[in-house]
Amino acid sequence: MVSAGASRVRSISRVLFVVGLIVGFGHALPSAITVNDTQPDPPAVLFSRQLLAARHLQVGDVVELSGDPSGANPQQFRIAGSYEPMPDPIRVTSERLEARLHLPDLLRLTGDPDNPQDDDSLSAISVKLRRPEDAEAFARDWSARVPAIGVRSSGGGETEHNPFEVLSRFHQAIASLTVITGAVFLLALMVLLADERRETIGTLRLIGLTRARVLAQVLLEGAIIAGAGAIFGVALAALTEGVFNAFFQWRYDTSLIFVRVTPSIAWRSIAVAIPLGMAASVLASWALVRSNTLTLVRR
Amino acid sequence: MRALAFAWRSLLRRGGRSALGIVGIAAAGALMFDMLLLSRGLLVSVRELLDAFGFDVRVLASEGIPQSRLPIEHALETARALSALPEVASAVPFRIGEAEVAADSDRPDEVALFAVGATTRRIWTVVDGRDLSGREDDALDVVVNHRLAERMNAGPGTSLELRGRCSATPSILPPITVRIAGVATFPFDSGAQLTMASRFEVLDRLCERPAGEADLIMVASRPESGPDAAVDAIRKARPDLYTFSNDEVIERFERVGFSYFRQISTALAIVTLSFGIVLITVLLTVSVNQRLGEIAALRAIGFSRHRMAADVLWESALLVGIGGLAAIPLGMALSIWLDAILRSLPGVPATLHFFVFEPRVLWLYAGLLTGVALGAAIYPMWLVTRLPIAGTLRREFVS
Repeated sequence: MVSAGASRVRSISRVLFVVGLIVGFGHALPSAITVNDTQPDPPAVLFSRQLLAARHLQVGDVVELSGDPSGANPQQFRIAGSYEPMPDPIRVTSERLEARLHLPDLLRLTGDPDNPQDDDSLSAISVKLRRPEDAEAFARDWSARVPAIGVRSSGGGETEHNPFEVLSRFHQAIASLTVITGAVFLLALMVLLADERRETIGTLRLIGLTRARVLAQVLLEGAIIAGAGAIFGVALAALTEGVFNAFFQWRYDTSLIFVRVTPSIAWRSIAVAIPLGMAASVLASWALVRSNTLTLVRR
Repeated sequence: MRALAFAWRSLLRRGGRSALGIVGIAAAGALMFDMLLLSRGLLVSVRELLDAFGFDVRVLASEGIPQSRLPIEHALETARALSALPEVASAVPFRIGEAEVAADSDRPDEVALFAVGATTRRIWTVVDGRDLSGREDDALDVVVNHRLAERMNAGPGTSLELRGRCSATPSILPPITVRIAGVATFPFDSGAQLTMASRFEVLDRLCERPAGEADLIMVASRPESGPDAAVDAIRKARPDLYTFSNDEVIERFERVGFSYFRQISTALAIVTLSFGIVLITVLLTVSVNQRLGEIAALRAIGFSRHRMAADVLWESALLVGIGGLAAIPLGMALSIWLDAILRSLPGVPATLHFFVFEPRVLWLYAGLLTGVALGAAIYPMWLVTRLPIAGTLRREFVS
């Protein structure tokens, strides 16, 4: 991303603000105005879906936009279509009241007529590199060559201060606490299960099965129970994924995807659950397997 | 023997199983306790931050996100006019900008710069040197935070060269030299932020913004009037400005900015509640099933249905109560860890917390645990009260 021109940034944000002002308060302008057929067709503008809905506008309506915060010198635009704003987790709680104009229209709308340079000034230029991995070096190089502009890589980076990395660590911490709670629950169930089968284990030992053989059976049972539970959990998550996404997309009026059960997450859940289940079953049965056989059968 | 004592002995008799139940409740309870701390923690913390320096009303030129807000023109005059209102104790205009200071490294450091109209009420606490003054000679004085002082190896009396950074790029205006008057702590500082405060003159010289503009005016109401009266008075005096009390800011923040943490805490609290109910229900049900003969015998010698149900309820209450008590210190310890993770989010003030204890959390927690104890006991109590005495005794003795 290459940025230049302090005033341009403010102007563009003011345009968006004015759109917000017009839409939010409705004092400055009507939601749509009638255009005389003899007038030339106004330039096209795209409105975000949210903006159209908020002001009850529709494609084909003519609206007035102003680059001045006070709403002065408005220009007419015809809504040529609507678009879904790029989902942005950072702005998930913000109303996406946005508009997209052709660059010359925006420059004409926001430019200062007394400043001829305004017609040739931009707030930012997005650059796509042939080799994305060179982004940092490119930014350094151009910052040094043209000190008046700021050049920075648009990649968020996997640094520990990236907000999504931080939220991901928080979610992992919560998930691990939930797993620990689940493990205690599993252990309690396994203890009950083992206790119920005290006599069965005694009988198996009496008919000649070694402790190792009984333990192997317990281990296998634990793996099967935990595996089945994990598969059920993954299936439940996959089934309810759409419900969660639909709820949060409705709640925040966004197309952002909040929950996604990926194969990697599914495998990770199963990989955590099965060893936990095996460990819980062995831990729960250990005392029984090592007990005196006659005690187990109450003789 | 009273039902409580009877339940206690029953739990002791099955020590291992009871301990597991208590550990399970402690783990689930700790997570639930943390979610309760999270559910309003950020709100409480933001509220404390907003209230920290006695400003209880904010005045803006427009609504919307900070990047798109209009500046307040003639802010110093506006602040003076607001200060003259009988409901207002003081009104301080603020302008927020950025600057660059050249450190030892190749790249200059970015500094958050707060410009304030001359006043005695501040949003920082000077810990070394002196505060900004209203004297003409001190117009280019600044106060800096500890981190900036250390970074620049500077202190009160030292000069710094500043270049404005009024948008994404450095300003084209020439750098200016400012003098550090003092070192201060700023409540809104994030972990690594370099912060500086100055009078308006510094930002006026650094950025190509019209002089006298402010981003907001912070107002302290008179104690005898209160913030609501001050808000009404300001709205009446300046209907063109947007005036909010701290309560309204918090209410707005709760509605839009805070919903994520509220929802995640609600979802996890429900999950942990369900864990707790299912765990104790299973433990008590198995326990009751294993003691059917004993329960039938007790019923036969005169224990009433209510008494047997009370035993089960007390068992549930003891398991949940002991586990729930153990969960509080565990949850507090975990919340420190979880809070540290979230506080590493970029731009979060160092004094802001996501997990905050308040007395209502304890009441809510106790209420939820009571619900767990009652909910978990319902099915085993139903089993106990419906138990046929003769049939059960016969079946137990025959088997």
